[in-house]
Amino acid sequence: MENPYIPYPVEVIKIVTEVDTKDIKTFRFAFVNKEDEEKYKYIPGQFGELSIFGKGESPIGIASSPTQQGYVEFTVQKAGVVTSALHEMEEGTRMGLRGPLGNSWPIEYLEGKNIVIVGGGFAFTTLRSLINYMISGDNRKRFGKITVVYGARNPGLLIYKDELEAWGQRDDIDLHVTVDKGDSTWKGREGFVPTVCKEVAPSSENAVTVICGPPIMIRFTLPVFFDLGFSKEKIITSLEMRMKCGIGKCGRCNVGSKYVCKDGPVFSLAELDKLTKEY
Amino acid sequence: MEKRLIKKEALTGIIGKIAADTTVCAPVKVEDNVLFKVLEKGDEPLVTFANSKNAPKNFFFPRSEVMLRYTRTTKGMEFSGGEKEVGEAVLFGVRPCDTRSFVLLDMLFDQEKYKDPYYIDKRQKTTIVSLACAHPPYAACFCTSVDGHPVSSAGADVLLVDLGDQYLAEFVTAKGEKLLKYFGDAKADTAADEKKEAIAAQAEQEIKSHIPAKAIKPILDVNFEHPFWNTIYQKCLACGTCTFLCPTCHCFDINDEMKDGDGRRLRNWDSCMFPMFTKETSGHNPRTSQKERWRQRAMHKFKYYVDNFNAIACVGCGRCVKYCPVNTDIRKIVADISKL
Repeated sequence: MENPYIPYPVEVIKIVTEVDTKDIKTFRFAFVNKEDEEKYKYIPGQFGELSIFGKGESPIGIASSPTQQGYVEFTVQKAGVVTSALHEMEEGTRMGLRGPLGNSWPIEYLEGKNIVIVGGGFAFTTLRSLINYMISGDNRKRFGKITVVYGARNPGLLIYKDELEAWGQRDDIDLHVTVDKGDSTWKGREGFVPTVCKEVAPSSENAVTVICGPPIMIRFTLPVFFDLGFSKEKIITSLEMRMKCGIGKCGRCNVGSKYVCKDGPVFSLAELDKLTKEY
Repeated sequence: MEKRLIKKEALTGIIGKIAADTTVCAPVKVEDNVLFKVLEKGDEPLVTFANSKNAPKNFFFPRSEVMLRYTRTTKGMEFSGGEKEVGEAVLFGVRPCDTRSFVLLDMLFDQEKYKDPYYIDKRQKTTIVSLACAHPPYAACFCTSVDGHPVSSAGADVLLVDLGDQYLAEFVTAKGEKLLKYFGDAKADTAADEKKEAIAAQAEQEIKSHIPAKAIKPILDVNFEHPFWNTIYQKCLACGTCTFLCPTCHCFDINDEMKDGDGRRLRNWDSCMFPMFTKETSGHNPRTSQKERWRQRAMHKFKYYVDNFNAIACVGCGRCVKYCPVNTDIRKIVADISKL
């Protein structure tokens, strides 16, 4: 019997400090056993349990795209016991990884549609996975227009800066990077994400919005999309709850009858409307 | 189905013989409590008792269980998966309510996707000998309100029924039939069957507690925000006794512990009654007070489990009623919900 609680051994092969405050880093893991990589077939929007022996586990969204072979990436903010231990790690360290867990962004549903990605702060990780998936090679043809609005509080807190640069060079992504407040070197856009969404005003015609960010951003951005004509079925987000097992057994991440770890983390607003508001 | 009759005084000897061949877990008197424990030499299993204080779920889902072990080496952490597998065992003297709890726990731990190997391994290797309640032992018993019955064999491999002068042993499953050899060769006749039916009918009559547990699902569906929830939690101490004694509560925590380079990952029972249960690293807690936690407990048992598995996650054993230090009574809560 497969034991879903046993992690795959992985090695940290690359660490990128994403932000000026140095508390958000992207960790690239390679599987110690090559065959485990085959088993770790994931879809953008899924998450994994980062497993540090002696410390515990932490559920984190997968930040790389399945089109990127040979490794898996997670972008992690230093916050609790496990993530603090992770931030102390150096390249070459071995640890564990469980998953992939949860449902995913609804790729089949997104195909053939115009996609509007809205991200805020550090909640951009599984959206980055989705973007890289959609623009990889032949995949790009399967999706319509891709619009991305991504914001952070200040330029130093934007993550994936190199990729934002590269995406900005492409003519098949309509990218809008914004900061709440710029600094002396910032030449880009200033303004809150909801305001920028209003200015960009993506058409709701055959379009789906995928949104992740702090609750305050989501609260003010949703009305913008309702005004643009997006129905609740066409707005998709990802929930977070405290988790342990990640497979719907330990009983702590439920919202109503649904376990965020197993039935989520991805839900449409229409689906969330049917659940309780206990999250 | 194979059936045998045995003399009443023979039962203890039969358990002893089984215990000589395999691990037997049975109710034993420990100070003032009746507890399930593995029989050791000299232990006297009880055959006449009301019910054990602890639910026997800890036999398949221990209060604390090692999930994996690891050692610090020069190359980093080396880990080995899982505990060594357990051997075969017999769980003797389980009351029908508790036996049914295994059917309910199977739904969760033995799903099609994500099987729980720790639970399933022990469950598959264990034969359950259930002891029917010819006379339901407590005023707080309410198994018949939640799809149970005092003489039910649901979940059992062998069911023993006290017929007064002897026991009727029904070998419900193939796993149970492996114990046939211990039970002699006095086959049960139709008179024994008839007597059992009469005892079952009588036992059902003796259950005095009836609650509308099955009727409240549609009410819970639409009353998550009802002010009723404000009325049930104030006296709750968040001690977790109800969840720890509950045969169907299955929530757990996963913790790592390490000493001198050797460590292990454990799963420990946890409780939705505890404030930390859902508290996130950021400090945010979706269930801010005992009100939300009590609502979760009631909803989980009588709505969420029904939504997910089409079964109420309560077997009517009455432990939470009897042992709650502030006398919170799930029967009253269910009755009150039915009137919303």
